[in-house]
Amino acid sequence: MTQPAPHPAAPPSRPPLRPRRSLAVCALIGAALMAAVDEIVFHQLLNWHHFYDRSTPPIGLLSDGLLHTAELLGLVAGFVLHADMRRRGTLSPAHARAGLFLGLGAFQLFDGIVDHKVLRIHQIRYGADLLPYDLAWNGLGLALLGVGAVLAVRAGRTSGPPGRPGPSKPPEPSR
Amino acid sequence: MTPEHVHSSGAVPGPAVLLAAAALLAVACYLLAATRLRHRGDIWPYARDLCFASGGAALASAAVVTPPGGPFTAHMARHLVVGMAAPLLLVLARPLTLALRVLPPGRRRRALLAAAHSRPAAWLVFPPLAALLDVGGLWVLYRTPLWSASHDRPLLQAAVHFHVLAAGLLFTFAVCRLDPVRRRWGPAWRGAALLGAGAAHAALAKSLYAAPPYGTGFAPADLHTGARLMYYGGDLVELALAVVLAVQWYTAGGRALARSRRRSGAATVPAAARADPPHPPGARPASGCHPYECDRERRVREGHNPQGSHIGQRISMR
Repeated sequence: MTQPAPHPAAPPSRPPLRPRRSLAVCALIGAALMAAVDEIVFHQLLNWHHFYDRSTPPIGLLSDGLLHTAELLGLVAGFVLHADMRRRGTLSPAHARAGLFLGLGAFQLFDGIVDHKVLRIHQIRYGADLLPYDLAWNGLGLALLGVGAVLAVRAGRTSGPPGRPGPSKPPEPSR
Repeated sequence: MTPEHVHSSGAVPGPAVLLAAAALLAVACYLLAATRLRHRGDIWPYARDLCFASGGAALASAAVVTPPGGPFTAHMARHLVVGMAAPLLLVLARPLTLALRVLPPGRRRRALLAAAHSRPAAWLVFPPLAALLDVGGLWVLYRTPLWSASHDRPLLQAAVHFHVLAAGLLFTFAVCRLDPVRRRWGPAWRGAALLGAGAAHAALAKSLYAAPPYGTGFAPADLHTGARLMYYGGDLVELALAVVLAVQWYTAGGRALARSRRRSGAATVPAAARADPPHPPGARPASGCHPYECDRERRVREGHNPQGSHIGQRISMR
């Protein structure tokens, strides 16, 4: 027993990481988090947005309800999927970080363009010149998306095609 | 039971007292049944007693106490308790499972089981249908002349409130899927139904913010507070339902994972396993816990009878 042999009861090999799933799950968390921040900060704390704007068309109302519920369910589903991947050891942290930023940015941009401008559910602020607010809002969304994209590219480079991070390790046989 | 009714008559109306009494009676029956189960030696978590009792108490108090705020806000607070919060608490306590366990084998138990496994019950707990009955009923109530018509017809009003409670119970039951029924719908169906119901509920709440229910005139401030209460109160209950679903999915996945790890551990044990003849799938693994033990642990955790048989119960009773 000089050389510690692998314990027979121990799991024989760690399962392969799932980068795409890590990215998607964390993007879901990111989008839901941004929606929650929007709801809490701009609707509740600052009272900038209107709860309901009379100019909202019915389709905007319906899509808003759908999006709002999807945000709640997405937050719960995202966290539980994340916990499941951690439990299985298939979470790729670099892709997860990239996904989080992509989700944050994508929701911010979607909210700024589709909700505020296309569906006109509500505006960022009332009784003020909207242009700087809109620019800042969508600019922040773009910046977050950019950070996410850079992180995703770097995560893809360091881990290589599906497998473990670190090129020194030989690719494991797929089970 | 609407605030106008309570205010105008001064005294508590009949149907409300009846509902409160029925709720408290149900709580008493539940606690009695759970106590009997525990005396017999079964495990039944106290948290379920607490859930059912608080659900029943919430229902009873919503029936007889007028919540603060304007008439519409008070109505909405009641609607939230009767149609969403109380049903969730009652369903989490698994009343059907308790009834099936506590009833002695015989005609009544067979009838209850037959009803739970019947085809109409299977259709009713189809999650999208339950969602439609629940939220569709709300749209009909607030967006047709039904509500104003029910103001001066106590029987219609009682029927409306009964529908809100029954549909809330049905929807929660269908989404949580804790009790044994004929067809068990997967998390995707239940999640989709929850999403659709939540969206329709939120849209209705926002539309009430702008336009009062058909044929009624509430003060704008009252209307706005009531609509916000509906919107955010609905969110809370939806969040709780989503957590129930997510926890179910997560624990089911954990059990499957533990099973597959036991199996793969058994398959890769070099010496002992190779000496034995090959196991059929699902046989006792060479490592990990004994399947009976695991099964027993799981059943105890889920609140099933630890003895595992009626013989065990009889012995523990003597």
